[in-house]
Amino acid sequence: MSSTNYNLSQNPAEEVRTSNWSALRKLLDLLPEQRGKLYLALIVMVIYAFVSMLGPYVVGYTIDHYIKDKAHQDYHQVLVNCGWLFLIYLVVLAAVYLRTTIMGGYGQNVLFSLRNTVFNKLQELPVAFFAQNKAGDLISRVNNDTDKLNQFFSQSLMQFVSSLFIIVGSGIFLVVLNWRLGLATLAPAALMWIFTRLLSPWVKKKNAESLKSTGAMSAEIQESLGNFKVVLAFNRRDYFRQRFMAANKDNYKASVSAGVANNTYTPVYGFLASMGQLIVLLVGIYLIAHGKFEPGFIVSYFMYATSFYDPLRQMATLWAGFQTAIAGWDRISRILTLESNLPVVPSMTAVHAETPALLEFRDVSFSYPDGKSVLHHNSFRMEQGKTYALVGPTGGGKTTTASLIARLYDPTSGMVLLNGKDIRSYTPEERTQKIGFILQEPLLFTGTVKDNILYGNQQYKDYDNEALTKVLETSGLETLLSRFDEGLDTKIASAAEGISLGQRQLIAFIRAVLRNPELLILDEATANIDTVTEKMLEDILKRLPATTTRVIIAHRLNTIENADEIFFVNGGEITRAGSLHQAMDMLLHGKRVS
Amino acid sequence: MSQKNQPPPVKSPEEKPHSGGNGHQPSEGQPKGPEGGRNKPGGGRRGPGGKPQGPGIWSLLKPYKGLVALLIGLSLIANAVNLLIPKIIAHGIDAFTDHSLDIHLIIWQFLGAAVVVFIFTYGTTFIQTYASERVARDLRTRLADRISRQNYSFLQNTSPSQLLTNLTGDVDAIKLFVSQAVNSIFASFFVIIGASILLLTIRWQLALAVIATIPIIGITFFVVLQKVRALFKTSREIIDWLNKVINESILGAALIRVIHSQQLEYAKFLEANSKALGLGIRIIKLFAALVPVIIFTSNMAVLTILAWGGHFAILGKMSLGDFSAFMNYLNMLIFPVLIIGFMSNIIASAQASYGRISAVLNAPDPVENGTIVTPLEGAIEVRDVTLGYGEKKVLKEISFTVPKGSRTAIIGPTAAGKTQLLYLLTGLTQPDTGSILFDGHPLSDYRKEEFHRQIGLVFQDSIIFNMSIRENIAFSDTVTDELLEKAIATAELKEFIETLPNGLDTIVSERGTSLSGGQKQRIMLARALAIQPRILLLDDFTARVDTQTEQKILDNVQRSYPGITLVSVTQKIQSIEDFEQIILLMEGEMIASGTHTQLMGSCPEYVQIFQSQRSTSHYEQHELQS
Repeated sequence: MSSTNYNLSQNPAEEVRTSNWSALRKLLDLLPEQRGKLYLALIVMVIYAFVSMLGPYVVGYTIDHYIKDKAHQDYHQVLVNCGWLFLIYLVVLAAVYLRTTIMGGYGQNVLFSLRNTVFNKLQELPVAFFAQNKAGDLISRVNNDTDKLNQFFSQSLMQFVSSLFIIVGSGIFLVVLNWRLGLATLAPAALMWIFTRLLSPWVKKKNAESLKSTGAMSAEIQESLGNFKVVLAFNRRDYFRQRFMAANKDNYKASVSAGVANNTYTPVYGFLASMGQLIVLLVGIYLIAHGKFEPGFIVSYFMYATSFYDPLRQMATLWAGFQTAIAGWDRISRILTLESNLPVVPSMTAVHAETPALLEFRDVSFSYPDGKSVLHHNSFRMEQGKTYALVGPTGGGKTTTASLIARLYDPTSGMVLLNGKDIRSYTPEERTQKIGFILQEPLLFTGTVKDNILYGNQQYKDYDNEALTKVLETSGLETLLSRFDEGLDTKIASAAEGISLGQRQLIAFIRAVLRNPELLILDEATANIDTVTEKMLEDILKRLPATTTRVIIAHRLNTIENADEIFFVNGGEITRAGSLHQAMDMLLHGKRVS
Repeated sequence: MSQKNQPPPVKSPEEKPHSGGNGHQPSEGQPKGPEGGRNKPGGGRRGPGGKPQGPGIWSLLKPYKGLVALLIGLSLIANAVNLLIPKIIAHGIDAFTDHSLDIHLIIWQFLGAAVVVFIFTYGTTFIQTYASERVARDLRTRLADRISRQNYSFLQNTSPSQLLTNLTGDVDAIKLFVSQAVNSIFASFFVIIGASILLLTIRWQLALAVIATIPIIGITFFVVLQKVRALFKTSREIIDWLNKVINESILGAALIRVIHSQQLEYAKFLEANSKALGLGIRIIKLFAALVPVIIFTSNMAVLTILAWGGHFAILGKMSLGDFSAFMNYLNMLIFPVLIIGFMSNIIASAQASYGRISAVLNAPDPVENGTIVTPLEGAIEVRDVTLGYGEKKVLKEISFTVPKGSRTAIIGPTAAGKTQLLYLLTGLTQPDTGSILFDGHPLSDYRKEEFHRQIGLVFQDSIIFNMSIRENIAFSDTVTDELLEKAIATAELKEFIETLPNGLDTIVSERGTSLSGGQKQRIMLARALAIQPRILLLDDFTARVDTQTEQKILDNVQRSYPGITLVSVTQKIQSIEDFEQIILLMEGEMIASGTHTQLMGSCPEYVQIFQSQRSTSHYEQHELQS
């Protein structure tokens, strides 16, 4: 189960491109409750298209009946028809207003729920997903691609849809008024359709490539700029330049081909639209000559042809944007199709006769999706209120063990039990309340120290500084705040500049302790904190309720000397070391596993 | 009409003091402070209608004169010929009514015009893509080149995320300007003027009535667009906010799952997203007011043509062909007005982006005036060094010397300024006052490249590049295979690398996620050792490496790199007890220095730290001796 592959840049099998239509359907499915609005918008647009089409008809009719022939000229009738025309245009005015508000509003709502869906999915996916994808690429994927959709939805969608209706409306009028001339006028459009069908997969592919290279480039920039001090200290400015130039060049190539692809539509559509006009002229003249067409309507026909081909040309431009949006949507969809591999399972484990341990590993093995095997068939128990230490050489599997305890991953085989029950049967709320985990790399959110130590804390979330300080005092945590210039109100920028690694670890420590977990895991959580402060942390740990179980991963032996039990983790084996002596012995004699 | 980037803190190059020396103090005229982020609401320097300062966006096109001229030329020809088509049609209709129609002539004229338009439009779109991508590529290259020559304080002051925006979003805005705005602005004016003239020649009274719609549409459009632009700016800020929530939720994925705070993150996101929705709806409402006005006005023009044109026709002053020409030209007239409006938006946003880019491009290069290239012997002297960030002093009057070939440890509690001191020693940052001397010469007198080639620095945070282990270790270009081997052996990595399927050529992922903390740290040590440094600086190197490995590594360093000067920032006294010098830093002040024995006798703070580690230290020593 835990070997689910979440790598978005691998998995070529899944790169089956969805058709435009089904992609669109999936998008609309995001907002089922607003279907009514969509239908209303469609009705308004039908009215709009129909009434718009009456205009040219009235113009043609008026010219034909009251202007063209000397015999029937009647300016009064012309003015009467102008009155009708004015009424028609008023209806158009109202319809345009309505369709813009309704359709535009609908588009914004789809966008809104799309963003929510993506974000929700990101929250749902397990740690493995984030471990397997580059953060830079992921951020670019989510930000840029939703932005592409944003641009389409906010700016082109309405034009896109209403163009579609006008095209259909004009098409119908062209054919109904005179089917011979109508069909002839529409003939170039059939060519456009074929041309678009043939070209669109290529255009889409080019756009996807271009998006991908843009993602790669920004990942490259992020990596290089983020690590600029190494680049400087090792005198490798040229390295930054070279790597960037390569990414830049790739991006340039991909973008030029995407641009060329996107721009092929416009000239071709323009040319075919001209052909439409030529056909109206030639066939129109031919039909008039044979008495099969009223000459005044040739003006209407040019108007219809224009309102048929002009939106079609606009759609050509919009089409490229649509393709980009679909390509972006494809990339996002791939995230949406992923499922968490950590579902909550129904509890099946029977109650045991023996009192259950707080935590138990039962024949647990774990390997990463890339096949790297980290733990093999380990079993151990952790009792309530005791302190456990995990020691062992780097890369031995300590962090993996801790991650399994916190169910950041599920074991490949075997079972982790919490209070005698399969850990998978706990809801995330229950589990995270019981298990606290101070991670190796502490992360702070933009805000203040207070925001960060209360992050996700239901119990104290509404406390003001004073009340919170009291709480901190009772657990002895308030002394740690003196490490921050402005105490609780110290500001934290997202880059965490000006906050040292040690300070970040302190915040992470306070954050975890305040949650008062039953089992607290410290994964080298104090590695960068000086030993005097560390002593204070130790005292705080000692003052935790007697029922709290502590699991400490550390290199520094003094941090673990008070442990009740020591596990030696190496080469995929978790071995119980009877005493500190024995643990030392194992450490000193390398990989010897008893 | 995509207002892709809000126009914000534009800083003209003139505003910046052209500092001559290499003293790039953080407080000095750098574009922005660390948190003076690009997206501070209301952070824009530009008044609502004010022109942004800085070089004009058009000046950017100078090197591409030929290409731009070609672009505009092609597009003007295409549009000119396109203007003739309604004329040809009108002529055809009239010739037919007069029974003087030469059908072949019309066909050839029409086809000729259509083909010319096709070819030139195709050419335009091609050149447009090519030119815009080239401008973008060149601009990125210039930016990257400029950034790569800057020093560390530049990067601290202009945060990486801002530079990322410069390199991506800002460049994209300019790309859009070149690909869309440049030629369509010219073409649109050309078509408006051309179509107007052609209409005037048919029937000037009616033409004037039709042309009158242009200012009506133009002004409405302009007014609404002004409002929309302001909203787009706000919407950009909200999108940035959204993105920040997304970014933090990705970077903090593990923490969020450990705390189960998905709901909290979602609430944060929902707040931002709801704002975005509200704003989007407001923009839609503005468009809902605009679009009907445009359509209604142009329809009124149709009405005028019918009513007034009918009048002229009845008087015999207008033909059927003239009617069709008027209808066709009316369509040609309105579109360019809209285009100009949209393009003004693109230009404004490109101008703002170019202002920001120029600020980076015009940032003065750090002056390199170091000349000393003689190899270092390894003696360091720190003299009265003070360093502050704003009000806060990070280091206060620090002085000490490190004899060549000796070992010095810097210890002290969290946030004592240890890392800052180390950065000063490598020249990554410069002190506010005081000086740092190597072999008696100030650091700034050394040629930077030569200097860095002899300093090995192991950073506290794991910095692993997304490439092979070999490239990560042999990061400097001076590393030979032999040096590489030696560094790997010294850092105790040999065994680990052998277990990897591809050995040294195994690619490690971004932020080194597939490696353990200790492995990363050892790779960084090997990277520092591989350049065969005279001076090795370790920043809390021992934090993530187990004691046994650490001891081995330190011994290896002594053995393989004899005579190396070692400065180590650390927490563990036990591993530095035999060092020649130990410096105790607390809150930026140097409390004491001396050997372990001296400090044990004279410095209570040191004794306190020692006591906090005593029991295990004692234990470990005992074990090691046995």
